[in-house]
Formats: sequence, C-alpha cells, structure tokens
Amino acid sequence: MSHGKDTDAADFVVVGSGAGGAPAALALAQAGRDVIVLEEGPEVREQDRGQGAAESLLRLFRDNGTQVAMGRSVIPVLQGRCVGGTTVVNGAIVWRLPEDAYERAFGSIGAKDAIPLAALEERMDRIERDLSVAPAPERLLGGNGSLMKRGSEKLGWEGHAIRRNVLDCQGSARCMEACPTKRKQSMEVTYLPRAVALGARIRADHEVRTIDMSASRAVGVTGVRGDGSPFRVAARLGVILAASAIQSPCILRRSGIGPREHVGSHFRLHPGTAVAGVYRDPVRLWEGATQSYEVDEFRRDGFKMEVVGLPVELAGVRLPGMGDAFQRAIADYPNMAVWGVQVRAEAEGTVSPASGRADLRYTPERADMETMRRGVRRLAEMHFAAGAVRVYPGVHGGPDVLESPDDLGKMDDLPLDPRCWSLISSHVFSTCRMAADERAGVVDFNGAVHGTRGLWVLDASALPTNLGVNPQHTIMALSSLLTERIA
Amino acid sequence: MRLGPDAQRRIAVVLADVFGEPIGVARDIAKFLDGYLQRVPARAALGLRVGVWAVTWLPFALIGVPLPADALSPSARARYIAHWTHSRHYLLREAFYLLKAVALMGWSAHPAVRARLDVGPLAVTRDRAST
Repeated sequence: MSHGKDTDAADFVVVGSGAGGAPAALALAQAGRDVIVLEEGPEVREQDRGQGAAESLLRLFRDNGTQVAMGRSVIPVLQGRCVGGTTVVNGAIVWRLPEDAYERAFGSIGAKDAIPLAALEERMDRIERDLSVAPAPERLLGGNGSLMKRGSEKLGWEGHAIRRNVLDCQGSARCMEACPTKRKQSMEVTYLPRAVALGARIRADHEVRTIDMSASRAVGVTGVRGDGSPFRVAARLGVILAASAIQSPCILRRSGIGPREHVGSHFRLHPGTAVAGVYRDPVRLWEGATQSYEVDEFRRDGFKMEVVGLPVELAGVRLPGMGDAFQRAIADYPNMAVWGVQVRAEAEGTVSPASGRADLRYTPERADMETMRRGVRRLAEMHFAAGAVRVYPGVHGGPDVLESPDDLGKMDDLPLDPRCWSLISSHVFSTCRMAADERAGVVDFNGAVHGTRGLWVLDASALPTNLGVNPQHTIMALSSLLTERIA
Repeated sequence: MRLGPDAQRRIAVVLADVFGEPIGVARDIAKFLDGYLQRVPARAALGLRVGVWAVTWLPFALIGVPLPADALSPSARARYIAHWTHSRHYLLREAFYLLKAVALMGWSAHPAVRARLDVGPLAVTRDRAST
C-alpha cells in the first residue's frame, strides 16, 4: 500500500475501502480487472491498534471523532476513516438482512426483480464464510452480555448472542479501537489483502474530491493526498464510489453530478442512546466481546437493543453529579452494565460538502423520540429484571437515577425534545438512494448514477432507506452483487 | 490551537471540582485538553476552546460574581458549575457536556485514576496484542 504517482490509471477506480469498497475491489480483482482503491484515511498500523478510546478517535475516526449532525440537537456521527473504513472500528456485528427490512428497502422501490433477496443471501452466505461469522460464544458474553441475556430471558423477550465477524476472539473488548489482536475480520485484514494478492493497488491518504467526467462518462478522479499534493487517477472502464453515505454525496455534489434534489438528501440514521445499570456483582465491561448480546424483541416496532462495552471515559459522560457525587457514581463502573437502543428513525436530513468537511443536518421526528423513549424504558426494565440495584437513564429532565422497578413509570414522562438526550449514531444511509429513475433517487437498480455512464455508488448511501439492523453485512452483499454485474 | 499555561491552570481548578480529583490530576487533564486541541479539526478545536473560555470567565453572567471560575470559593464554584450542568439552555448544557466528555478522556488516561478503578491498562502492549 504505497503512494502513487500523478499519472496512475486503472480499469476501475474504487473510492473508499470499507464495507462498500473492499468487496467491490475484491470482486473486480477476481474478475481480472485492474483496480486502484483510493482511501482518504491512513493505513492501520500495529501501533494504532488497541490504544484506548481517545487515541482511536483521534487516529482512526472521521474528523478525529468530532463529526456531528446539527439540528435541534447535536448528534455525534461516528465513522471510521482509515484503510478498511468503519469495519475497522465497529462492534463486529453482522446482521443478515431480514425479509421485512428487505421488503421495506427494496420492495418499496420495485427493485425485487433486479435485486432478489435470494441473490443477496447467496452473497451473505459467502461473506459469512469468508469472515468467519459466528455467534459470540458463551465465554465471550462477558458480564454485560450475560446480564442482558438473563434480563431478556426473565422478561420472555427474544434475544441472542450477536453474530460477529471475529476469528478466535480474545475478548479484549477493544473492537472499536481497531482489534489489537487482528482477530476481527474487518476489511483491512480480509478482503483488501485478498484483492491486493490479485493485483489490486491500494492508496491510503488519498482523498478524492471530484469525479472527472467526459461526455457523461466517468473517466477518473481528482483529489489530494494527505501531504496536500494533488493527484489524478484515470479510470479506463469506470469509477465506483463507496466512500460512505456522508462522503459519496459530497463527492457527487462537488462534481456537479446527479439529480441535485436527491444527492445528499434523504439522510437517514439509526440514532441511539445508552442506559447504564449498576449491579451487586462485578460486570467488568473491559472483558469479553465489546458487543456480545442483543435483544430484537422490538425490532419490528422500530428499535433494537444491544450491549455496548463502553470504556470508563465514555460511560462516565452520562453519569450525574460532580465532585464526590461523581466519584461515588464512577466507583460503580466495575459493576456497571451498559446497554444501548438504536432506533429505525423516520426523519430525513441532508449531507452537503462544506470547506474541508461535510455539513450534516438532522433532527429526529417526534415519533422517533417516542420510539427512543419506549426503548430506554425497556432497557431500564430489563436492567432491573437482570438484577440491577440502580439504573441511570441519562436523560436531562428525567430522573437522575432509578432505584427500583417502582420508578420505571417515571420513564414514561421523559421529555421528547432531542436536546434533552445524549444521542449518537454510527449507521448512516440513503444520501444517494436507489430509485427507478432520477425523479426519485440518485442511482438505478444496478447502482449506476442516473444520467451517467461508468459511475456507480455502492455503499450505504445507495440503500433506499435505513434498515433497522446493523448495515455492514447488507452493504457488503449489495456491493458484491452489483460489482459482479459491473465486472 | 492551544490552551496556554494560564488557561490550563484556571480550567484545572474547575475540573478538579467536577471530577473530585486532586489538583495534580486535574492539571494533567488540562494538559490533555491542550494536546487534544492541537489534534482535532479547527472547527471542533475552536468550539472546545470557546467552551473552556466560557466556563472560566462567565461566573459574573451566571451567578453574578465578578471573578473567574478558578477564583470562586468552593461553594460558589459548585453553584456555578451546577448552572452549566442543569441549565435550561441547551447550548450551555451541551457546551459543558462536550467539555466534560473530552476531559474524561484525559481523566481516564491518568494512571492514578486507572489504578484506583482497577480497569487495566489504557492501551494494550504489543506483546500482549500478539498473543
């Protein structure tokens, strides 16, 4: 993985090296195509792995972990920015696209013939074999996962060990810091090396700014390297944009490509928040899989719940009190379980390029906040069912702490103003959404940008809507399927 | 963007109260803030720097005492910090929340804190990572 010269050329240029770009690069290389992958972020070095939350954010995340969506409130939006993209820093959760989510996403736009569920499932089967996907074993549930399992079983809610792309996990609870033992089968240790072995070239620190067009055909890309020097890469057959649902629309907008009313519009998220419970026995969030267990009892109602092995600095943000009160609360950290809820929100926002960054605008709808409130209520209920002695809801205007299940009713009155909540999201969608024609979206059912030739978008921005489940598997399967057609 | 020695000294006094830590630990957290400001994008750094300035210099506006936050009596400072954390105004509350979030990263990195909480090392060592 080296810096290239200004005169690089390839059959295909793939922009982005994450869940969209890496499978595309591999499929092209397997088809014998000459491929260059351009990644804005740096390579992940050994010394970047497992360095703690702060160093991980500063080294491996977009905008050094400071990217936010602005609206009625400020919502951090976490994305990887490194070779391998967000797959390097995510929780290793692999969710097969459920049929109802498939219907909502692809059925609703009339794409079932073009993108059959069976074809996606075939790719998912292969991806799961390639990435050693399996449920987290009992020994890796950790205190956090074991307690969620206990709570959900007591309540009779559907839950299960999370299926993860980790081979021989060591349980260091550092998935989001780039796996220190490289057991996580993220793109920089799997599909990208395989593509390189077949001749693909990967250029780190290469930020693509614009697509070069000639007579409506994509013929290359232009950008800047990490050291500020410009570069251009020519594409003999085409350009595949897989830079994420935030960067892909920005590149199209800067290039003046695509239907302006749709490029960067329809920005969807899975906003989420977390609820901490304190238990009599140690939980030790720093041991086991970072995310090991989930409850999808309420997925069809618009939210799902999963454990989150937050480090002490992130768990402490939501704790109330200062001085001695803070010390008393944080002393509970070893006995604390942290569970999150993520909502399949209906709100749509926008993404547009700004000077040196992306401008994200997003405000959850009232109905989304009602779903969020139901979700945290359920989390608190499950904490008590699992044996929590107190629960911290972490919502301004609500109770600082719940001392018993008798307090759960207080959760029903939590404010719906998003400014009272500490929301966060790491799943972004639909900013170049797929549609039959350019009146409704940016790309067609093959991922090709309407009105262009030789230009495809194969990342979460092409998804017609948010899925309600963790998206990396669907992104990879869709990218694989459509790239096989392109190649 | 930097957090100069004087600004570090002043905000350390506030952070010591927020986290209930000795001033020595709080000074290390302030030093972390300085390093953080130099590594994040300018827009984020400016926001955080303004936040630090505001927390240091707004006691008169919020509690009517014409002193910087580090010069307040402990009880006045507690009242002042509560104005930020429990403010009805989202921007005030959020500014303090963001400052606390970043400062917590410096706090959790402190060896004394990690030893007290018994949460293991901040970063893995290479030989452990290779097991």
